[in-house]
Amino acid sequence: MDMSDKKPAPAPAPESRFTVSPMTLAADRWMGRLIRIGGVGVVLAVFGMLAFLIYQVFPLFTGAKVAPVGALSVPAAAVAFGEDEYGDFPFVVQSDGKVIFQRAKDGSKLLEWSPTLGDRRVTAVRSYPRSGLVFFGLSDGSVQEIRIAYRSTFDAAGKRAVEPSVTALEPIAIGKPGLPCVDVWNAKGAQSRLLLVRQESAGKPLLTAVRLTERKGLGGKAKVTVSAPFVVAAEVNSVEQVLLPSTAESLIIVGKSGEVRTYADDGTAFTFLQSFVPFKDSKDTAVASSGLIFGNVSVVFVSRAGEQQVWSMYPQLQPDGKSLRRWGKIHDGEVLAGAGEGVYAAEGNKCYIAVAGGKLQLRNMTTGTLRWEGDAPAGTIRQVAFAGNYDRFTALSADGKLHRWSIVDHHPESSWDAFFGKIWYEGASGPDYTWQSSAGSDEFEAKYSLIPLLYGTAKGTIFALLFALPIALTAAIYVSQFLRPEYRNVVKPVMEIMASLPSVVLGFLAGLWLAPLVDPRLISLFCAVGILAPAALFAGFLWSVLPQPVRRQVKPGMEFLWLLPFLALCAYFAWQAGPAVEAAFFTVKDTASGLPIADFREWWRQTTGETYDSRNSLVVGFVMGFAVIPIVFTIAEDSLSNVPNSLISGSLALGASRWQTVWSVVVPTAISGIVSGVMIGFGRAIGETMIVVMATGNTAVMEANPFSGMRTLSANIAVELPEAAAGHTHYRALFLGACCLFLLTFVINTLAEILRQRLRERYKVV
Amino acid sequence: MDKSSDSSTPRGEGWVWFTGLGLIIGLGMVIGLLSLVVMNGVTVFWAPKVPVALVDDGRTIIGQLAQRRIRAGSPADHPRYELQYQVGLRELNGNSYLWVDEAKIKSESFPADVLGLERVENGPAFVRPLSLRKSDGKLIAITDSAFEPAFQAEVAAASAVREKLVEITRHRIGDVNEEMDKARVALRRAEDLKLAAEIADRRRQIAGLEVRFASLQAEAKKVVEGGAVASLVSKDAAGREVVVPLTQVIRAWFPNRLDTWGRVQLFFSRLGEFIFDEPREANTEGGLMPAIFGTLVMTVFMSLMVTPFGVITAIYLREYAQNGPVLRIVRISVNNLAGVPSIVFGVFGLGFFVYVLGGSIDQLFFADQLKYNNNTPVFGTGGLLWCSLTLALMTLPVVIVATEEALAAVPRGMREASLATGASKWQTIRDILLPASAPGILTGVILAMARGAGEVAPLMLVGVVKLAPTLPFDGSAPFLHMDRKFMHLGFHVYDLGFQSPDSDAARPMVFATTLLLIVLVVCLNIGAIWIRNRLRARFKGASF
Repeated sequence: MDMSDKKPAPAPAPESRFTVSPMTLAADRWMGRLIRIGGVGVVLAVFGMLAFLIYQVFPLFTGAKVAPVGALSVPAAAVAFGEDEYGDFPFVVQSDGKVIFQRAKDGSKLLEWSPTLGDRRVTAVRSYPRSGLVFFGLSDGSVQEIRIAYRSTFDAAGKRAVEPSVTALEPIAIGKPGLPCVDVWNAKGAQSRLLLVRQESAGKPLLTAVRLTERKGLGGKAKVTVSAPFVVAAEVNSVEQVLLPSTAESLIIVGKSGEVRTYADDGTAFTFLQSFVPFKDSKDTAVASSGLIFGNVSVVFVSRAGEQQVWSMYPQLQPDGKSLRRWGKIHDGEVLAGAGEGVYAAEGNKCYIAVAGGKLQLRNMTTGTLRWEGDAPAGTIRQVAFAGNYDRFTALSADGKLHRWSIVDHHPESSWDAFFGKIWYEGASGPDYTWQSSAGSDEFEAKYSLIPLLYGTAKGTIFALLFALPIALTAAIYVSQFLRPEYRNVVKPVMEIMASLPSVVLGFLAGLWLAPLVDPRLISLFCAVGILAPAALFAGFLWSVLPQPVRRQVKPGMEFLWLLPFLALCAYFAWQAGPAVEAAFFTVKDTASGLPIADFREWWRQTTGETYDSRNSLVVGFVMGFAVIPIVFTIAEDSLSNVPNSLISGSLALGASRWQTVWSVVVPTAISGIVSGVMIGFGRAIGETMIVVMATGNTAVMEANPFSGMRTLSANIAVELPEAAAGHTHYRALFLGACCLFLLTFVINTLAEILRQRLRERYKVV
Repeated sequence: MDKSSDSSTPRGEGWVWFTGLGLIIGLGMVIGLLSLVVMNGVTVFWAPKVPVALVDDGRTIIGQLAQRRIRAGSPADHPRYELQYQVGLRELNGNSYLWVDEAKIKSESFPADVLGLERVENGPAFVRPLSLRKSDGKLIAITDSAFEPAFQAEVAAASAVREKLVEITRHRIGDVNEEMDKARVALRRAEDLKLAAEIADRRRQIAGLEVRFASLQAEAKKVVEGGAVASLVSKDAAGREVVVPLTQVIRAWFPNRLDTWGRVQLFFSRLGEFIFDEPREANTEGGLMPAIFGTLVMTVFMSLMVTPFGVITAIYLREYAQNGPVLRIVRISVNNLAGVPSIVFGVFGLGFFVYVLGGSIDQLFFADQLKYNNNTPVFGTGGLLWCSLTLALMTLPVVIVATEEALAAVPRGMREASLATGASKWQTIRDILLPASAPGILTGVILAMARGAGEVAPLMLVGVVKLAPTLPFDGSAPFLHMDRKFMHLGFHVYDLGFQSPDSDAARPMVFATTLLLIVLVVCLNIGAIWIRNRLRARFKGASF
């Protein structure tokens, strides 16, 4: 383009042959623009790729967006509430048992319902908003169940109208007759339903329960049988809080001084399990509030000072040596602003709202992160309930307001710690790095630690390099410095073909052909490989002590042809000797027959206690060598053969032998090129996918054992991404893995490139 | 060792020989792997003799030897071997393959009457024929000299019937089904929009298609019933009578009677089927036509996309961009992109091309399709287009680097001479630089194709399937269906090797596919190397 500027265009040229045709100029201008746009566009697209990956990962590290969506005025006497699936028609229950339905939109009343109880009164109310069940504890110790239902009707125009209905069931006598109920709970176990009431008898708490078993009759009508009332936890003297999981498998009672007693229910009786004091090291040991987390195996306790603890059930070693599932502390949460006023769990994930010190905090139990914090509304919070799909929550405050918030939190389970930190998951015996992205049930705690995958990646890479580097580097030295040039022209393309072998082919051969083949002959293989290096050294030594005329038979640069039959012979004998070696060193008693057998695999299992898989790291390392060797070889060979001849001639002229020249002149000069080749090989091994997918068991274990498999970042993506739902945490976690791979290889390759450029400059100086 | 040698001995010779070891192992690995694949891949099509083996426990086995391996749990110093026979007749034996302890085999013989059958269903069969029941009901015993010609004629007749049936059921009924699907979507749309005229039209169309469907089915039935139902009566190893209808038989041969020429013919017949036919029996038999075609189409599209962009970028970087630190960074980054794992490109392809780009295309142009076809995405799911684009992005650095090198290798003199004669910059590029660097660019493109053809990991994420019902290219408009999923040789290897329910039956097929894939990739690479070497020779002498 600059050339066109130099043309003496303004002068009116008499002969048109000296002027440039406007078409040519236009073509030049337009093509110049096109190329610029194309070039810059492609370069931007390349950088855009990284930007897109980061953009996909970014939402993982943002908190929840919670916004208040208004408050509804309800009677101040309301003590509990519930709502329909969409939260459009909430209801409140007054302390006298009156149920009032209102429209969320304008607060207008929809329905009012009062219980007909005769001379009995309602003394306790409990509402289970998700299931539409309300329970009244009555003044005579009996319990009445109220069922709330919403019926949707569509009119002729297709408009939806909702009609709530209230059904009261016959009260069931549970508690000690004549004493008013103080509180009431309901839980649905596997076989039966449990109703629990609390009364006060002479200043002592009294917990009584019945079981309701529903049996389908012949006519399809359910028949409910009620068991005789039985007293639960008769020995407790003070009851502050009672936690009854919705599965009715256990019962947790928090006492006045902060002592927690837990019971297990096997469907027939409650047996005492264990007692503990969560805040026994604090000044004030009392538990201010507590709540069960979704899944019913973890409890959050908050003290009066705002300290938080999470306790969960996991297998613990008992003094008698048995391992039993018992409660234990798994997390020490952040200290809240004030005394705990309530803990309310979300449905469908492990988040909860903690009310403390005038603040509402949305926290995730697993990672302990604060998702959101906001001011609590005025007045004591009586009840908080989440919507089933975790998109809003509602709180009832004592001043007669039903406050509603919307939640936008797509990745409640993610945090920096979730991906890179050690986390104590539910049911585990300690904090650990775990990758386990899916399981059968909804209550499952997804585990997205990338550490085992990074470990697997590192393991695979190290084994690959351990095998590939010696071969690639020695071959590069030999080819660049000793081999005759006419052979070099054959060897280099062969190595390039090796680089082009599709990794799926390598993986298939590793997994289906090599692994089963090597498995029974491992020791033979070790012997054969182990003999090669000493044999080659010995051959060289042998040659150098031979008399000159014999030596001259081997032309320089042809050593490898002479070496070939010798090494083949050595390897063959070593291979044949393998079984004898195995019998001599690796004989163990067979567990099945009790007879001694010579089997390295069994020996490894019994001696080290580690696993032995036939698809193991050694096989992966060997096959990955096919991918790594040619890359390292090509780059190292290039930098070695580019060492200026003057240096080599100088060294040889000073009387150094060819090996001395290579070792003390050529290799040190080319070292940065060699290192850069090694790094690029490293980058290739990190990202290798198909070989690892096919030649390992793909279990995300963190073992240094060379005879076990691993799961690498790349294999993990290849296996799991096709099944991951777009936008889900799992999907983004896999993108995070891809980001890690991208950055890792990009950084390594850039370093290698800088090293190579430095080498080029050094050659220029020489 | 240095001390013991006399003064004339060069020092460190042992180490020189030691470095030679690295070369030997490296070359041994390549040659060993290639010969392994070639051996295993080629023997798949070769028909060996089939023994009749008597086993200790009184069993008789007729089957082709498949594998020999050390018995699990046998002592390492005295290994015992076991043999795997492909006995076929899956419907009777439950499994086509059988392991037998080698020591327990009493005797092996190769009787001439053993017949190998490749069948449409239930895999192959090895039997000893008794008689042929011809389509006219006549029985011809094996001892009759007319048996063999009659048998061959009946097999040919039966396969003609089978082909006709395939034509009807697969192609014609398939077309009707496809039209039906489209019509149903259109009907749903019309019903939703209350277009009375179109509703009637579509209903009429669907009714017409249903009539066509029924008549095709009737035709197929007629072919099945009216065609020749010749069958072969034979007995298996256990002496049970096996009746095989000849419509089931794809190929029949007497393995112990064939001469070398016959075996060669059989070899090429099988090879032809492998390359030109469609897969059968969960991909474990039949051919690879769709996978070969899919690989080729995908690779061609990838190179069509990567070449212009790669070349333009290289020209920009080399001829237009301002030299400086920014350009250096860009160049290093582009170089390093070649080292980014392929799976990362797959992740990007899925996230960006499929979900973002494809999703938006569906929203914009196929909203009706989404709405009335149960939200079935068109471009918002993996497909040929996205695979080609992903691989094009992945191989972009290869082409850029190769083109840049080729441009840099054009002698300065040529460029200056062109400019000095008054050519504009674009004219210089078009007429001097590009022709001179064409071989270099071609090398880059071929290398990119080789890499693209062999890559599997990213394709698994963006649109390769184990069995595609239709090719991405067919007779219905717009002829080339970039949204379709397709089959790929590399993925075929992965799927057959690791996802196949019957891994023994899949084994020969995997080796054959591997061989084909390697031949393809290695040929492309050798081509690239050859062009590059010619290019070097050409520029060696070129100086002004």
